[in-house]
Amino acid sequence: MLEVTGQHRECQEQLRKRARDLLASGEIAAFIGYGNGSLPWVPRPIVVRSPEEADRLVWNSFLTLNLANYLPGVLKELEPPRRRGEQVDPSTLPRVGIVATGCWSRNIVIQVQENQVDRSRVHIIGISSRGMISRHSFKQALGGKEALKIVENDHEIEVTLSHGETMVLSRWEYVRPNCKTCIHPGPVVSDETIGPPPGRRLVDERFREIEEVEAKDSQGRWEWFEEAFKDCIRCYACRNACPLCYCPTCFVDDSRPQWVGKSIETPDALTFHILRAYHCAGRCTDCGACESVCPVGIPMRLLTKKLIKEAQMLFDWEPGMSLEEAPLLGSFSPDDPDIAILKGGEKGT
Amino acid sequence: MRYSAYRIDRARLIEAINMLGPGFDVRVAPHLETGESGPGENMVKTFMFPQPEVLFTFKKAPPTADDVDLLREPSLPHTTTLLFGIRPCDARSIHLNGLAYEEDTYFWHRIEGAIIVGYLCKTVLSTCFCQRVGSGPDDTRYMDVVMMDVEGDHDALLLHGITEKGMIFLSQELGPLLIKCGGAKEEIEQSLGSRQYPKDTNTLDTLLSSDLMALYNAPFWDQLKDGCLNCGICTFRCPTCYCFDIQDETLGAKGRRIRYWDSCMFPLFTQHASGHNPRGGKIFRVRNRFMHKLKYFPDRFGAISCVGCGRCVRDCPVNIDIREVLDNLLEVARS
Amino acid sequence: MNWEPKIIAFLCNWCSYAGADLAGVSRLQYPPNIRIIKVPCSGRISPNIILDAFLKGADGVWVSGCHPGDCHYISGNLYARRRLVLFERLMEFVGLEPGRLEFSWISASEGEQFAAKAKEVTERIRVLGPNTRLRKVF
Ligand code: SF4
Ligand code: SF4
Ligand code: SF4
Ligand code: SF4
Ligand code: SF4
Ligand code: FES
Repeated sequence: MLEVTGQHRECQEQLRKRARDLLASGEIAAFIGYGNGSLPWVPRPIVVRSPEEADRLVWNSFLTLNLANYLPGVLKELEPPRRRGEQVDPSTLPRVGIVATGCWSRNIVIQVQENQVDRSRVHIIGISSRGMISRHSFKQALGGKEALKIVENDHEIEVTLSHGETMVLSRWEYVRPNCKTCIHPGPVVSDETIGPPPGRRLVDERFREIEEVEAKDSQGRWEWFEEAFKDCIRCYACRNACPLCYCPTCFVDDSRPQWVGKSIETPDALTFHILRAYHCAGRCTDCGACESVCPVGIPMRLLTKKLIKEAQMLFDWEPGMSLEEAPLLGSFSPDDPDIAILKGGEKGT
Repeated sequence: MRYSAYRIDRARLIEAINMLGPGFDVRVAPHLETGESGPGENMVKTFMFPQPEVLFTFKKAPPTADDVDLLREPSLPHTTTLLFGIRPCDARSIHLNGLAYEEDTYFWHRIEGAIIVGYLCKTVLSTCFCQRVGSGPDDTRYMDVVMMDVEGDHDALLLHGITEKGMIFLSQELGPLLIKCGGAKEEIEQSLGSRQYPKDTNTLDTLLSSDLMALYNAPFWDQLKDGCLNCGICTFRCPTCYCFDIQDETLGAKGRRIRYWDSCMFPLFTQHASGHNPRGGKIFRVRNRFMHKLKYFPDRFGAISCVGCGRCVRDCPVNIDIREVLDNLLEVARS
Repeated sequence: MNWEPKIIAFLCNWCSYAGADLAGVSRLQYPPNIRIIKVPCSGRISPNIILDAFLKGADGVWVSGCHPGDCHYISGNLYARRRLVLFERLMEFVGLEPGRLEFSWISASEGEQFAAKAKEVTERIRVLGPNTRLRKVF
């Protein structure tokens, strides 16, 4: 059980109302949001298909998956079957509603840029994120005990544990590092917004986690990499949770040539992570979904964040900020920094 | 006479385990020390199914080379693996996987060379549902030695040999390192007698007698699949998910054939070489995981392929809950 | 130990490969540690390929193409430049020693430059020693 009061409660009510209206008026055929699940700290992504169901929608601090991930699939599902090569006018196809925070909306922008999503078929209800709670640090805070019920208000999370014990956590302390340093908590594109405007974040500390690793020498960084990634079980949840990952055949599944060995031995697991991160270069919005879903707590988000830092420094680039932009690595400029002259240097800066 | 019952201090037991000879590959579950409830990390799965498992190695040899050298099976280890502190659910997973791996030499070599020291559960987590699938927190079947907490004394543990293998291990290897406690055997038998787990055979019977196609075509699958990411977390955390894939890896003139974990949640699992995929949509894959555990496997082997450990429930990032799926299936089966 | 660095050079067919050819025809000395793989354009190089070389035992990887502006396919190397600079930064971040990965632009007429670069790369990697960090062994 998860209950909300305060700002999130208001958002939740407005969200239900707007989703209900949109579904009832026929403007959209489905709405992508979150509902409650069987565990209080894991809300369940749901697709609402009728106005009556809209009351299942929830809004709280535990929404760590990026809903943009579901958008192309749901859009596709609603398309009537067609013959190969048959052209359809998108304006005749059913539309989909979705709720989006800053990073989710930026991922939708990227999906539009990359022709995965047709903007005209999507109705975006924007809500500025107040930062989502890290499942990993939340679990740690409970010290091995189980949360049976959660009640959250604007600044506190009250957890009921087994045997009736309770615990009160200060919300901001458990907010994920990517949310704490988010540069754009409010939606970048939307058809309407609900809830209060975004608050200020610690944007100055945006790359602190990265700088800590960069400060090590090459040997130290390698040791950090090996150690931090050694428990990966190759379940690919980080890949599948990411709205950027939509290739019909992922590089890990290629067998001729086989780019990545299939086991969990160090070189294989690390190669997987290097390439996964690299495929997100210039596209990753630091939404944190990958890190949140990992069952063993691998900090793979730091690799993509490093790429965000480099793309910003080298190309003055922030992913997913405008529908008109071309993808970073699908374009070039004659004035780009020249790799043959410009060297990374010992600290990778 | 063999002594096979001991009462021992937790810390001393861990000391004794560390003193065992080099013939043992000892793996101790962290909850033996912490006393934490629940199944804990999945030691049994990684033991049953190494990731990767080398089936054989091969090399390209000059024409004169001895044929024997071209292809070589790995020498199987002769150490005894001691799995210390395995919860009843996990111990039972070995038995269930054994049904499907009946003829697998590698699997059985490992299992036969292992001693399962089980650890009964004092408390159950909210996600534990071993009772519903035909077992329980006091289930001592599938263990060689059973270990349990002593009511009112956090530091004490009772140990009791169950199988021949377990009794020999206790009396000859671990026993001399422990202090025998005369009363323990009676104490254990008494407390086991009083803590009978309810065996739910009703669930299994209902699933067995239900119509497969009715379950397959049930409408709830369509909603269930919405949230699923088709990641492999549930299958990779699950002690009774045993699917694998095999690949040859080559490195210059040598190579190896490895077996590694696969998951029915991955599209590649059923992808044909032609490109056609009989389980092309998400719904097919989600449905397969649950139908396999709750219907196909029971139909074939007479048991549910789930031990109720709740790992998939806890670790699924989108909260797809097998208990709800089971409820839904039972509802369909009964209507 | 007689360890000799093994360096995989991915050379663009239209320029650097021809540059290597010219170096050979002109009988310029360059170290035999360079194993050349001809590619149609530096734009063909994906990080998968570079990592694959390291996994299979390369001690260094060197990618060379036409000078920016001179690409046979007009812009292949301009795309490559963006992609590879990010990749190099990522590799250094995870602890690949700086210098194991080399990039250059060498034209068909620059045989001397080719030989000089080959020497420079080989000597640098000799100092770094064998690659152990991303190499697959079994
Ligand atoms: S990093 Fe985590 S989520 Fe990604 S494959 Fe490894 S274990 Fe799975
Ligand atoms: S890589 Fe991770 S943080 Fe970046 S967009 Fe994908 S899921 Fe979000
Ligand atoms: S599922 Fe049952 S046996 Fe397993 S840990 Fe929970 S209570 Fe113990
Ligand atoms: S059920 Fe959950 S854990 Fe399993 S594949 Fe789907 S999302 Fe992943
Ligand atoms: S299906 Fe889930 S509860 Fe059942 S054995 Fe597997 S992980 Fe445990
Ligand atoms: S053809 Fe030489 S770099 Fe493109």
